[in-house]
Amino acid sequence: MRVRFGARSKAPVRILPQGPGDTLPRRARVAGFTAAPGTAAVLVGHKRRRLLVALHEPEAAGALAIARLPGDSHVALDARALSPAATASVIAGMVLRAWRFDRLRTRPDPLGGVALERLDVLTAQPDATQAAWNALRPAIEGTLFARDLVSEPGNILTPHGFATRLARLEREGVQVEILDRAQLAAEGLGALLAVGSGSVHPPCLAVLRWPGAGTPDDRGDPAVLVGKGITFDTGGISIKPGPGMWDMRADMAGAAACVGAMLALALRRSPVGAVAVLALAENATGATSYRPGDVLHTYDGTTVEVVDTDAEGRLVLADALAWSVRNLRPRALVDLATLTGAIVTTLGHDRAGLFGTDDGLRDALLAAGDAVQEPLWPMPIAPKNALLSDVADLLQCTTGPRQPDAQLAATFLRHFVQDVPWAHLDIAGVEQRERGPWYDPDRHALGATGFGVRLLDRWLESLV
Amino acid sequence: MPDIAFAPDRIPAGGAFALLIAQDQPATDHFNAADAQTGGAIGRAMAAAGFNGKKGQTCVVLGATAAHPRIVLAGLGRDPTARAYEEAGAAAALALSREPAASLIAADPAYAAHAALGAVLRSYRFDRYRTKETADDKPQLATLHVLTSDPEAARAAFAPLAATRDGVFLSRDLASEPPNVLYPAELADRCRALSALGVEVEVLEPAALAEAGFGAILAVAQGSAREARVVVMQWRGAEGAPLALIGKGVTFDTGGISIKPAPNMEDMKWDMAGAAAVIGTMHTLAARKARVHVVGIVGLVENMPSGTAMRPGDVIRSLSGQTIEVQNTDAEGRLVLADLLWYAQDRFQPRASIDLATLTGAIIVALGHEHAGLFSNDDALATQLLAAGIASGEALWRMPLGEAYDKLIRSDIADMKNIGGRPGGSIIGAQFVQRFVRGPWAHLDIAGTAWATKDSPLAPKGATAFGVRLLNQLVAEHFEE
Repeated sequence: MRVRFGARSKAPVRILPQGPGDTLPRRARVAGFTAAPGTAAVLVGHKRRRLLVALHEPEAAGALAIARLPGDSHVALDARALSPAATASVIAGMVLRAWRFDRLRTRPDPLGGVALERLDVLTAQPDATQAAWNALRPAIEGTLFARDLVSEPGNILTPHGFATRLARLEREGVQVEILDRAQLAAEGLGALLAVGSGSVHPPCLAVLRWPGAGTPDDRGDPAVLVGKGITFDTGGISIKPGPGMWDMRADMAGAAACVGAMLALALRRSPVGAVAVLALAENATGATSYRPGDVLHTYDGTTVEVVDTDAEGRLVLADALAWSVRNLRPRALVDLATLTGAIVTTLGHDRAGLFGTDDGLRDALLAAGDAVQEPLWPMPIAPKNALLSDVADLLQCTTGPRQPDAQLAATFLRHFVQDVPWAHLDIAGVEQRERGPWYDPDRHALGATGFGVRLLDRWLESLV
Repeated sequence: MPDIAFAPDRIPAGGAFALLIAQDQPATDHFNAADAQTGGAIGRAMAAAGFNGKKGQTCVVLGATAAHPRIVLAGLGRDPTARAYEEAGAAAALALSREPAASLIAADPAYAAHAALGAVLRSYRFDRYRTKETADDKPQLATLHVLTSDPEAARAAFAPLAATRDGVFLSRDLASEPPNVLYPAELADRCRALSALGVEVEVLEPAALAEAGFGAILAVAQGSAREARVVVMQWRGAEGAPLALIGKGVTFDTGGISIKPAPNMEDMKWDMAGAAAVIGTMHTLAARKARVHVVGIVGLVENMPSGTAMRPGDVIRSLSGQTIEVQNTDAEGRLVLADLLWYAQDRFQPRASIDLATLTGAIIVALGHEHAGLFSNDDALATQLLAAGIASGEALWRMPLGEAYDKLIRSDIADMKNIGGRPGGSIIGAQFVQRFVRGPWAHLDIAGTAWATKDSPLAPKGATAFGVRLLNQLVAEHFEE
C-alpha cells in the first residue's frame, strides 16, 4: 500500500476527522450525525463520498474509517486539522484495520472486501507528517508481516517454509542462521527433536541476529526473544478434537511475533541489537511421533517425563531457552508462545498473560504493552514441586480437570532460564480475532493480530 | 482441639514437651537446659536426624529419659516470624497429639501466643458424624501447656487470637456440614447464635424478601423445597458508616436445571464458603470487640432442579431493578451477590463492600489453590487487601476488569445475561457483579482456596475458612479506630 502526503487528491472518498468543537457540515446534521466520539457518518455527494469520523483515540479513529469503507481501495485522509503525530497514528490505525490476507484467493472476495492500495494524506505539514509516519511504520510493517505468517496454512508454512520466509529479513540486514535436524541432534536439542519427530517436515531452530549500532565490543549482551513456532499442532498422539483444529495453523504466532519485531528493528535501523531464537516444528500424529510417557533429554541435560504430547510448546521452548542461555549470554530473555488454553480461560481474548522472574523486566513489558494497545496482565508462577516426576527430573505438565496449566507451564519454563532475567508471554487467545462477541469490527481487522510485535519493538526501543 | 494454658517457662521435670528451634541456632537457654536435663539425648537425636531447624522440619526424640517419653523439636526457619511460630506450633501439636498432656516452650510471650494459635488451628477436626471412633482413635491431647517468660503477657496476646480461632473454627464447621443438615434456615439459625457476642442479627424470610424485591435470590431458591434466607449481622464496635462484608451462601449447588456432572458434586456442599467466611469473621470481630462498624450479609439458598426451578431463558428482575436473562442456572452465585450488594449499599451506604464467593471454576484454572482472585474498582482497597493477604497467609492475586469483558454479558432481551462464555470466565463473573456496585468494592473469588484436598501447615484437609484471617487483618489494619 502506498501512502502519499500532499495538499491535493483525486481519491473518490475523503475522510474528515471531526473534532468536538468543529462546525458540522449541514448535511451531516441533517443525517443526524452529532460527532459523538467513536462514531462516523458517510455522506454521499455528486462526485465523491465523504466520511466524517468523530475523532477520539487516533488509531481507533483510523480503524473506524476503514471499517466504514470496506470496498474502497483508494481513499484520501483530510488531516489538515491534525498534528503530524496524530495523523501518523490515524494512518497506523487505518493500515492495521485495512490488512487482509488475500494471497491465496484466486478470485475477488465474494463479500466485496478489497485491499487498501492507496492512501493520500492531505496535510499542511507534509514533511513533518511523513517523518512521524516513518517513525511508526517499521513496527506496523513488522506486525503485518507477522500476521501474514500466522495466516499461512500448515501445508504451506512448514518449519522449512517458515525459515524460507526469513529471506525478507535478510534483505534488511538481519543475519539468519538455521540449525537443521542434523545440527539439532548434534547439539542435543532432544525436546525440539521429539516434538518434531512425528512429522515428515523436520524441525529446525532459527537464530536471527540484528547487531545494532557500534562495534561488537561495545554492544554488550543482547536482549533475546524466543518464539514458539509450531507450524501446525495436531496435538500429536494426544490428538486434539476435530472442531476448531484448523486454528492450530496459528500455533507459531509467538515465533511470528519475534520475526515481526526483528523486521521492525531492521527497518528502523535500531541502534539496540537483539537476537531472536525460533523453535520451529510441526506436531504431527504419526508412526514416529513421541508418546505420553516418553522421557526426553533436553538441551541442558534435564530429563522430562512427557504426560501429554499436546503440551508440546513448553518442550520446544525449554530447548530454545536453554540454548539461548548457554550460547547467547542474554541480558534479558523474553519468550512468546500460544501456550495454554488455561490462559484463555483466565484472561479471555483481551489480554495476554505475563509471567516472569524479574520485576524490572515485568514492569517494562507491561508499560510497553499498554503503550501500544497490546495489554498484558501479570500472573503468578506455581512452585516447582508441582512438577515432580516419578521417573525423571521434571514433569511436563499435570493432568485432571481445572489444572492451573498456564502457571505450571511457566514453572516448567523457569527451570530452563536459570538466573537470567526472564519473562514469558502466553499469547494464546490474543493471536487471532474471530467473529463473535469479543470482536469489534469497528476497531480491528479479522484474523491474525500480530500481537507482540509492537510491544517487543517498543520495549527494545526503551533499552539503552 | 487442645485447651491452651500459659505457664512460666522452665523445662518440665516430666512429660512430653516441644521446643521450637530457629534454623542453625539451636543453642537457646531452653535448649541447653533441656539437653543437659536429658543427658545430651536431644543434641544427639538432632545430629542423627539431620535436624537443623529448617521450616517444616520436625524431630521426635523418644524415651530421652524415663520421665520424658516424647520430646518434639519443630523448625522455625531463619528469622522466624509470627507465622513461623504458628506453623512450628502446629507441627509440634501434631507430633504431640497422642499425649494426654504436653508442654510447648516459647520464651517470647507474643510468639508463644502465635505458637498456641498454630497448635489449635492444626488440631481442628470435624468428627461429629463419626459414630464408630473409639477414644483411642481420637487425638489425646486435652491441654497444651505453653511455657513462656511472661504468661500474663502471653495470655493477653492470645485473647484476640482465640477470637480468630473461634471464627476460623465456626467457618470450617459450617463449610464442612453436610447439605442435608445445613440448609438455608439452619444456617440462618447458626448466625443467630452470634447475638450472644453482641452481634445484631436479622433474618429475612421469603415473604420479606419478596416484598423488598430480592428477585434474583428468590429465583435461585425457587427450585428447592428449602426456603431462602438473607441474614444481616451488624457489629457496632464504632460509629459511622460500616464496612460491608457480603457472602455467597449456596448451601448446596446442583447447578439447577443446568445440572452439574455427577463426579465431585459433593463438593458443592461448600458452595456457601463465602458466607461461612463472613460469619466466621463477624464472630472473630465481635469476640475480640473490634472497634469497628461492620455489617455482614449472607444470602442463603439451595440451587435445585425441579418443576419450580428457574430455567435457562428466564428473565428475572433483581433488587436493583435491573433485569437479568438467565442463560445458565449454574451461574447462580452472581445472582445472589447482585441482590446482596445492592441491598447492602442501599441500606447501609458502606465505606466499602467486599464480597466473598466460590464463584467460578475458571479461577481455579487461572490461579490454582495458592491465591484467591481479587477484583476491585478501587486501587487503594485492592492494595490493602493484597497486603492483608500476605500478612494473614491467605494470599490474593489481582485480576483485571474492563469494558472488553463487560460487553460479553450483553443480552438480546434484558439488561444483561448471567454468563459470557468460558474465556475470561472469572473476569466476566466479576464484571456481572460489578453492575450492582456503587462505591468502593472488592470481589474475592475463593473457589480455589475455600477447600483443601490435602493437609496444610495450619489446617487438616477440608474447609480452610479462607477469608476469616484475611478480613480480620484488613479490619485491624485499616478500618478500626
